[in-house]
Amino acid sequence: MELWIDFARGPLFALTFLIMLLGLARLIIIQIYSIVARKGRRLINAPWKKIFREALSWVIPVRHLIPGTKIFSIVSFSCHIGLILVPLFLANHIVLWEDLFDINLPQLSSSVADYLTLFTIVCLFILFGFRVFSIRLRSMSRKSDYVILIVVLLPFITGYMAVHPKMNPFSWNVVMLLHLLSAALLFILIPFTKLAHIVLFFFDRISAIHWQLRPGAGDQVAESLYGKEAKV
Amino acid sequence: MNEKAVEHQETRETIIPVRKYPYYIEKPPKENRVGRFLEAFAAVLKYSDYKPLLDSYCTSNTKCNRCAVACPVFLATGDPRDIPCYRTNLILDIYKRYFTIGGAIKARLTNGFELTEEIIDDMLDGFYRCTACRRCTRECPLGVDHGLITRLARYVLSLIGIVPKALQVSVREQLEGTTHNTSKVPKEALINTLEFLSEELEDLLGVKMTFPVDRPGREYVFFCAVSDYLLEPETLMGNAAVLYAAGDWDKWTVGTHNYDGINYGLFYSDWHLENIIKQLVAEVTRLKGEKILIGECGHASRSAHDFVPVFAGKEAYPVTNFMEYTLKCIQEGRIKLDRDIVTKRVTYHDPCNIARSGWIVQQPREILKAFVNDFVEMKPSGQDNYCCGGGGGLVSIDEIHEFRMSVAGKIKAEQLRQTGAEICIAPCANCKKQLKELVEYYKIPCTVMGLHDLILKAIHIPGGKSPQERKEEAALMEM
Repeated sequence: MELWIDFARGPLFALTFLIMLLGLARLIIIQIYSIVARKGRRLINAPWKKIFREALSWVIPVRHLIPGTKIFSIVSFSCHIGLILVPLFLANHIVLWEDLFDINLPQLSSSVADYLTLFTIVCLFILFGFRVFSIRLRSMSRKSDYVILIVVLLPFITGYMAVHPKMNPFSWNVVMLLHLLSAALLFILIPFTKLAHIVLFFFDRISAIHWQLRPGAGDQVAESLYGKEAKV
Repeated sequence: MNEKAVEHQETRETIIPVRKYPYYIEKPPKENRVGRFLEAFAAVLKYSDYKPLLDSYCTSNTKCNRCAVACPVFLATGDPRDIPCYRTNLILDIYKRYFTIGGAIKARLTNGFELTEEIIDDMLDGFYRCTACRRCTRECPLGVDHGLITRLARYVLSLIGIVPKALQVSVREQLEGTTHNTSKVPKEALINTLEFLSEELEDLLGVKMTFPVDRPGREYVFFCAVSDYLLEPETLMGNAAVLYAAGDWDKWTVGTHNYDGINYGLFYSDWHLENIIKQLVAEVTRLKGEKILIGECGHASRSAHDFVPVFAGKEAYPVTNFMEYTLKCIQEGRIKLDRDIVTKRVTYHDPCNIARSGWIVQQPREILKAFVNDFVEMKPSGQDNYCCGGGGGLVSIDEIHEFRMSVAGKIKAEQLRQTGAEICIAPCANCKKQLKELVEYYKIPCTVMGLHDLILKAIHIPGGKSPQERKEEAALMEM
């Protein structure tokens, strides 16, 4: 079992993490390349200031609390705090970052990390509840939307159990292996599923650039479908 | 279709009569709509720049559903199919399945998504239930621009012949007809109307103003929604009064080759959008003008302001909305407005096309505060306003009147009622028409008018009758 854990903590972790990084880098490169190639000089005229201002308004999105979605919004926003902080700054993870990339990150105190983990788990359960019980959300959700929530939830639950042996009915080894495997699964899924919004959120926001349509494209489309004499 | 949607189907059908198409279409495509749709979509993707955005949207779209509560149509119906994200996903699913490698592999491996005739029906209905007001975009944490996607879907649909007849006929006249305007107003009728307006203004204001027609070398070339010449003469008279009072009467002109600011291409077609813009710019070049001055019209202003720089190349003349011009005149002290004329409570409706981006929000309010004592805001207002319910070209489609009234405009009517205002200012030809119908439908005691209709009442005209005199004359006339 320990051999498995070592494998999961070592090569598997490194491989899946690399897949995630390369996958996300691929998305960013494709976006930047295709936007620059297609838009070219028109990018200079884009309202960059406004785009960044709007994006920043979502860092603390108080202005966006509108009736009808307040609870969902608060839960979903707060959930992101733990999702970002715990994996990066938990004491046990910092060792990993040091081993792998030789970087020294500041560390969260264990009690803060504990509460934050519990809080995130609760938030994720509530979000899952919304997907199941809210007609609005359910009507739009596909299988993948539920599965992804569970995949995100797993490393948090198993991680918490591993740190608190008293609450853990299974052996530490089993839970730790599950923790590592679920994290590996998450890393692989991130660049290929909607979780990719961790980098694509910025590219979603630049619709102002896409409103700058390509001159001449309309005529070319019409001609390719209906010939030169295309009529309205 | 899920259970909830089936449940809503009945409500939907009582609102819009059961027809194959919810609006009139000139030549409805009969067969192979799926194949033709995909062919048209492929052409659009090949020649236009939508690919990166669609790639980003279809990978990262989290379906959080926050947009639902921002959408006036969904709030009125509660039908899941009216959620902006649902609509957007109709087209994203097609894109993912037929135009990405991942989608193609998935389709091979699983019994996945396939475009069907039913989905085409869903789209042609759904995308014309959206007023393209883009209120949802402001509430999307990822900034997904559902307005742009609605437009793209309508564009592809229009390429296979699915487009409301009302819009298509107008665009055809504008681009291929003899009058080059959406209302088919011939040049002679325009000149007659301007002469008539000139006489009206003389009676009203006590000064003679002859409208400048086809004068070359003027600073401003004026375009309004052509329907204003027929339906909203007071707005035009207000515009004229401001230009005269500000001493700019010899700085503007109307052109006779093209005098229509309307651009329905903004609502459904890149192709038409560009060609209409080019036509507008050509008129300014012909008249050797320097700037484009757009009257009170939301989408005419936005299409010129946003797309002249995109399509006109070196001929990209600066675009000014008339409200910006009027505010500048007030700030420079070139026009004076009488504070004692308008005593009624006034509210202001923000047209989505000029307010959503934050372009024209404060200007009209500053103008109103210069002469209106009892001004009240709608809640919410400004960039977060609700659409009147006629946006995205819907107002021109008469056969969906009931939908515009009982669904799309429901919240707006309620907002308007709550202000208790007797006058509602809507500086947009489309909003004005929709709001006028709404106040009638919901029996709200409120008069809808343009901003310059009100300015016309309160403006001081050098050498003419005073606003007070005019008010007394009007009172006598009413008696």
